[in-house]
Amino acid sequence: MMNRNLIIPLLVRGLFLLFVWWSLSGGALSSWWIGGPAVVLALLVSMALLPPQHLNSYALLRFIPFFLIRSLLGGVDVAWRAFHPRLPINPLLISYRLTLPAGLPQVVMVNSVSLLPGTLSVAIDQQRLQVHVLNGGQDYLAGLQQLEQRVSRIFGESHQRSKAE
Amino acid sequence: MNISDYLSALLLIAGGLFFLAGTLGLLRFPDIYTRLHALTKADNVGLGLMVAGLAIQADSWAVVGKLLLIWGLVLLAGASVAYLIANGALKRGIRLWRR
Repeated sequence: MMNRNLIIPLLVRGLFLLFVWWSLSGGALSSWWIGGPAVVLALLVSMALLPPQHLNSYALLRFIPFFLIRSLLGGVDVAWRAFHPRLPINPLLISYRLTLPAGLPQVVMVNSVSLLPGTLSVAIDQQRLQVHVLNGGQDYLAGLQQLEQRVSRIFGESHQRSKAE
Repeated sequence: MNISDYLSALLLIAGGLFFLAGTLGLLRFPDIYTRLHALTKADNVGLGLMVAGLAIQADSWAVVGKLLLIWGLVLLAGASVAYLIANGALKRGIRLWRR
């Protein structure tokens, strides 16, 4: 089982890095003299810096459209407020209790919060995330809970564990 | 001009509007935290729309890949830097603007 747990992340990351090089070099064949070793080195560094962990790939795939749509809404929301003559904002600083474990899950959460409508991560101290809310009238809490649930599904911490694990 | 040209013109103009909104927010919003909202979110969408508009015109898939990589990296950098600036401001005791 150990092998299988290592081979899939190696394959996924390797393919991604190959894609990055192919894209940067515009597919020039002669560039692979440099690109090949660079991909291998990058793969080794990535495995050392970010050891593979259990990811629910179905949840990850479902997170992408969720994130894109919500961040588009976030942009529309803040753009509308910036253009509005009366500047309809009512900022608040709130404290949100995370149930996500420290490490990558929290990093994903903190970064996503800042791109979603009306919220901005300001500080994180263990399980307490301080969030700046642009407009206190909005239902920011539901948005944060939904986001946290989605992130926790990616890392397989919820009841929706995938059978592949 | 064919349909794809119109579509990419539309996306590029829309992207420009979001960049304008981000800059307007930077100028009009009252404090550092609210300005970060404008910059991270509006510019992220603006760049996304511009990337989409340019991807339609790209001559090869490698260029599309490059555009998507740029967008992804800006997204990551934008969100991380916004956190660092907001966190720095809070640690320095900069109070948030309240209505």
